[in-house]
Formats: sequence, structure tokens, C-alpha cells
Amino acid sequence: MALELTYHGNTNIPVEIEGITPDILQPLSLAEIEQLRVFHGKDKCVLADFFKITGDASDLEMHLSGQLTGVHWIGTKMQCGSITINGNCGRHLGSEMRGGSITVNGDAGDWIGAEMKGGLIHVHGNAGHQVGAAYRGSERGMNRGTIIVDGDAGNEIGLTMRRGLIVIGGNAGDLIGFNMLAGTIMVFGSSGIRHGAGMRRGTIVFMGDDQPQLLPSFRQAVKYQPEFMRVVLRKLVKNGFVVPEETLNASYNLYHGDMIDGGRGEILLRA
Amino acid sequence: MTTSYLKLAGGYVYDPLNGVDGQVQDIWILDDKIVEPPGPGVRAGRVIDMAGYVVMPGGVDMHCHIAGPKVNMARKMRPEDKRRDTIVERTLKTHSGTMGSVPSTFAIGYKYIGLGYTTAFDAAVPPLSARHAHEELEDTPCIDKGFFVLTGNNHFVMKTIADEEPEKLKGFLPWLLGAAKGYAPKLVNPGGVEVWKHHPRGNVDTIDQTVDHYDVTPRQIISGLTRTANEIGLPHPVHIHCNNLGMPGNYSTTLNTMDALDGHQGHITHIQFHSYGGGEGVEETFCSRAQELADYVNTHDNVTVDVGNIMFGETTSMTGDGPLGYYLHNVYGTKWFSADTEMESGCGIAPIKYRNESLVHALQWAIGLEWYLLVHDPWRVVMSTDSPNGASFLAYPQIIRLLMDSSYRNEILKTVHPEVVNRCILADLKREYTLNEICIITRAGPAKILGLKNKGHLGPGADADITVYLPHENKQIMFELPRYVFKSGVLVVEDSEIREPLQGKTFHVDPDYDLEIEKDISDWFEKYYSIKFRNYPIQDGYLHKPEVVDCVQNDESSSKSN
Repeated sequence: MALELTYHGNTNIPVEIEGITPDILQPLSLAEIEQLRVFHGKDKCVLADFFKITGDASDLEMHLSGQLTGVHWIGTKMQCGSITINGNCGRHLGSEMRGGSITVNGDAGDWIGAEMKGGLIHVHGNAGHQVGAAYRGSERGMNRGTIIVDGDAGNEIGLTMRRGLIVIGGNAGDLIGFNMLAGTIMVFGSSGIRHGAGMRRGTIVFMGDDQPQLLPSFRQAVKYQPEFMRVVLRKLVKNGFVVPEETLNASYNLYHGDMIDGGRGEILLRA
Repeated sequence: MTTSYLKLAGGYVYDPLNGVDGQVQDIWILDDKIVEPPGPGVRAGRVIDMAGYVVMPGGVDMHCHIAGPKVNMARKMRPEDKRRDTIVERTLKTHSGTMGSVPSTFAIGYKYIGLGYTTAFDAAVPPLSARHAHEELEDTPCIDKGFFVLTGNNHFVMKTIADEEPEKLKGFLPWLLGAAKGYAPKLVNPGGVEVWKHHPRGNVDTIDQTVDHYDVTPRQIISGLTRTANEIGLPHPVHIHCNNLGMPGNYSTTLNTMDALDGHQGHITHIQFHSYGGGEGVEETFCSRAQELADYVNTHDNVTVDVGNIMFGETTSMTGDGPLGYYLHNVYGTKWFSADTEMESGCGIAPIKYRNESLVHALQWAIGLEWYLLVHDPWRVVMSTDSPNGASFLAYPQIIRLLMDSSYRNEILKTVHPEVVNRCILADLKREYTLNEICIITRAGPAKILGLKNKGHLGPGADADITVYLPHENKQIMFELPRYVFKSGVLVVEDSEIREPLQGKTFHVDPDYDLEIEKDISDWFEKYYSIKFRNYPIQDGYLHKPEVVDCVQNDESSSKSN
């Protein structure tokens, strides 16, 4: 039986629930869980001030429901277990998580999976900016794990990411893979401008019909069918992502860049 | 008769300036000063039993980076450093704060006093940014403080030296210190920062290389400023960051710099970074030359040093040495900040991580320890980490343990890069510091070198800045958490908790000078500065708890030794 957290807060001030993760909650009783510290703006409160809590945490499964757009840092630094969110949620979902899975049956805010180091985040709706990004000042963003967003996402996806896979099923904003160090980003819809600026290594794949204009510091290399694409797409299907039929056997134009920073990254545009 | 005296009764007192070495004594305090024991029949209003405790003067950090524009820029450019570290929680009496390698202002004050340090000096403030530094110092509670004023690349200084106008320099230097409400002139890579501004990757290689445009050499700048500062009678004449910091083979530059003092009193700072042998191929030839330099210090009374230890871990390098910041950025591939303070100085900031498996870093660590152990007279070597450049000031207790426990030191030596033992003599040094010597290098010595007559000792007339430790076999544990810290006679810290976060003083000098010089300086400002001459000096009323430290003018012969 999962642990059920039903949000009943009525506030416009951010509620921050960092540290409320399945691995932390597993050994605790309901009474102890209710008294865990959360922040309401700058004020220290307890979890029970904002959530009705029922069920049992022992099986490492958490369900959150309600109007959670003002609730931030859900699943931050989680090590294992699963979180399911029924509804929309706030910023920093699963940031720095190391393992386990988070599923959002709704939309998520900015900074989901920022600096994550393992695990899976699957957002069935849209996501905000800086998916899998590095926080300001950090040397590295996402460094292992998988983030799948079925809908649209914002700017700076995979900012300075080091490893892992980010998949955006819909449209995306500007500066995808900005300063990217390694890893893979796939966008199935249309997107904005200046993708891959400053990227050193890694792969950005644009699968949609509406291809972005690349920076002049990217140089076309070849048109081909990469072997790894089938492996990646199979993984996506396995995770419940709907892969468009036309992408399954497509060819791609490969561009190398960013030439201002070594030119060892690659951008693939579906031909 | 009961009075408002506070009596610290029966502690093991360490007061090397007054020849007290662990004897059981009482300390009497009246208001903010230590006083003679009153006559018989007088009872203290409050008596705190110190039996079994070690009682020392409050610590004095004579070289750290705690305020001013570069410190604040380092805070801004390293949010990740702060985010990963603990936070300082707000209490009913204290502000919240952030840590990381460059803590926020209030946190710096709380952490220093929590460590038993009651006085700290920022080592490098451009006079043009002195106002900013004073603002930050006001928000740095619990400790007394001050700062050194960057002068080694000041255009007016270089011009007067090039024009051979020592009298003009003798007017300008005191005016500048008084205008900035600073404490001492600081020379950072004298002349080298100016060359850096003129050429891509520019710097000077020796102290006899000519600086562009002004046609002076670093040697002339060092000699000129040192002589002038001694003639003015500044309490701490010059504080010198030599040229070629961190470069293999730089020990010869350091020796030449010491020679350039011409026998005048001068302080060479973070000398560990200036004690390297070797040539271009760093890994092959990099080695310690601390022995040669320590021999020089041991035989020349006019030179004092602070060490500038590095300790392993992540920190932020911040310096007025612009080319050094660029060098570190290139070596480590980290982010970098550089600034040009018009007419006066430069700045470089870059994150750095010291690793014990790195031969260069491990050797730097060892050379720092060699310095403490090779200088015979503890009054002339001061503990510092150049915080945060070598490590945070919070590393001082660990350094104390390394100095007091040779077996611990050897254990740590075994964990660093194995080649280190072949490149330095640390493994052969068996010396262990006593508590009395630790007291000298952490408070009595730096206070004396800074010319602070009321700091660093527990005699009558001294400021009642007192730290009380519970003795422990592990000296790191002992020095990390003082039992009590008194500041200006007030119990500020008890059992690691801040009871009364009082505001400390700001020390500065206000030396006399020939007012005629102001006409020249004013013309100079109107010609070249972006700020009006009349807006440059910091008014007396700007500082909140200022204390002027007197200058004592010496004749030429008395300011020279050896």
C-alpha cells in the first residue's frame, strides 16, 4: 500500500518539500512523517500543515495529488523508490535525484531533473525551462539518468549536461544543449534558436519536420542512419513513450560543432 | 566590595608577550580592558572558574580575504559552492548566512569568533573600493578588523618613483592610507599587474624587469614603498605579495624581494606560494626551496612572514594579482573573473581544488609546514592560509595539530603523492610546536607584527579579547571549539553558541603628511581618474567604530636592522 499525500494547502507562497522522498520516509511512521519539516516561503512548517497523509511508506511508493503547482523540490535527492504525481507540480522536480522513478500525470515546472545523477523522470504533460540543467555556477548539469517529457519544454534544456538522456516529445525553446559536455538530447517537435552553443561533446537530435537553423559554428559532415538510434528508440518505447512512425527508419544529417569549443559535439537533423 | 570587575579564575594562562607559559593565573577585566588585579578586599562582580582550561589571547588573523569587491565577486560567481555547503541558521541574536569557501559577511564574523579569533585583516583592497570594503566590514560582526591598501601597481606611486621624487611619495602614501581609512600598504606582484594590463599574458619574470610606460622596476617599487612606509612609521610598514607567485623557481624572486627591503622592516606574505624550486617542466623539477629562504629569514631580523598554507579540498582563489588569476584559470580550466581597477590594481578570481594525489598540490602543502618548522623564532612566522586561497581559516585547528603532533604529520604525509618526500625535507623535520609557540604564531606574533599594542597579550591595558579552550590530546579538537570567547570583555561565545554578537572595531592609520601634496594629487585625479578628488577620501563619520593606530616615526637608522 503506497503512501498517499493529498495536498490541501491554500496559499500563493511557495511550499518547499525537499527531503520528502520514499527512501527517507520508508522507516518512518505516519506520525513522524507528518512532523517532517517543510518550508512555506521562509517559514518553517510541518508536512501535515499542507498534506493529508495516509497509507504506508514501507514499500517505497509515494503518491501525491492535488493542486501542486506551488509545491517545489518534490523528489529532490531521492535514492530509490517511486513517486507518482497526479496533477501539475512545481519547480525542481527530481533535482539531484540518484535513483528511482518519478511519474507526473500532468505538467511540471522549471528545473526538473536538474543535476540529476540517476533514475527516471517521466512527465506526461509539459515541462518548463532548464530540464536536466546545471544550476547557475555549477560545472555540470544532469550526469546520468533519463528524463522524458511527452509534451513541450522551455529553454536551456540540458544546459551543461554531462551524461544521460533527455527526450522532449513536443516542441522546445532556445539554447538546447547550451555548453553541453556529453549525453543525448532528443526533440521530436519544433524548436527555437542557438542550439548546441558552446557544446564540447554529446548529441542533440532533432526528429521533427520543422528543423531549426543551426549556428554557423556547426559544420555538416554526412547523411546517414546511425545505429544507436534504434537502441534509443527501443528504450523509449519500453518506457511508454510513443515514437512517431516516420522516425523509426529515418536518415539524419550530421553536423559537428561547436567549432568555437573543439567541435566534438554532434547535432543530427532528421532528413 | 563587589565591583563590575570580571575575573577569569585559575586557568592555565598562555601569554608569551608577558612571559607567561601555562602558569595558573587569574585574569581581571574591567569594561573592555584587562587590568591589574585590584587590591585585597575587592571582589569581582562576576567570577568564571577557569580551572583546568587553557586561557589565551584572542586569535589574530593578519592575512585573509573577508571584505571588498573581489570577495563579493567570488561570492557571486560561486553559488554552487554555497549551495553544497551548510547554512548558518538565523537565531534570535544572529543573522542567517551562507558558507562555501567565501562565506557571507555575517557568517565570516560568527565563524571567526566561534574559532576563537577576535581580529582579522583583509589583505588586499583597492583604495578606490575602500568604501565597499568598509560597508562589508560593518556587516562582519564580533571581530575587530581592518584592511591593507593595494599600492604596488598604483600609477601615482610608480610615477613618483620613476621621477625620483621620494618626498612626493612620502606625501602620497600617508594621504592614500588616510583617504581609504586603511591600515598598511600592500604590494601585490608589484609592477607585474601593470604589465598584465598592457600585454596579452603579460607579467614580469624578475624584479629587475622594466614596467611599461613608467619605466620602473618591481625592485624600485618595493624599495621605494618600503623605505617610505618605514620613514612614516606605519605600525605595519609593508605587506608584500612577491612577484611570480606559484611559479616553479620563484624562490630566487623571493630572495631578491627580501634583499630589496634594504634592511627595512617588511612582511612577506603567504611565503609558501613563493618558495618553489624548479624550472619550466613543473612535474620534473618542482621542489621546495623553503630551507634557503628560511635561512635568510633566520638571519635577517627585518623580515617577517606568514605562511599561506594550502589544505586539501576545494576553495576559491582570489587575488589582486591579475595575471595569477588568468594562470590558474588556464591550468585548471575553471571559470575566471578578472578586473582592472583604474590607476590602481587588478584582480583575478578562479575556483581551485587542491588534491593530495597531485604532486604539485601535495608539495605546496608540505612546503607550508616546512616554513613553520624551519623558522627558528616563532615571533617572525605567522599562521595563515591566505583564506580562502590556500584553505579556509577554519582549517587552522588542523594545521595546529600538524605542527604539534609529528606522528600525525607523518601519517598524513604518507597519504599524499609519494614523490613529495623526495622533493622537500618535511619528513626529516621532527620539531613539534608547544602550546606557547602556537599562541605566538596565532595571536601574539601577528599582533606584534601588525603593531597592535593592545592585542595578542593578556597584560594590563590589553583589549579583553580572550579565548578559553578545554585541553584535549587531539589539538585539532581542542582548537576547533573554544569553551568561551570574550571580545572586549563581553562573553560572546559559550560552548560554540554566540551569546552576544557585538560590533567590533575597525583599525586604520591616519598618518601626517605635507598638505602641499594634495594639489598634485588633485591634479592627478582630475586628469586621470573617473572619480573627483574630493569624493575619493572616506569621511571620518563613515566608519562606525573606528580606532586609529598611531604611527611612530623613526629615524633612518632605527628603522633598519641587519
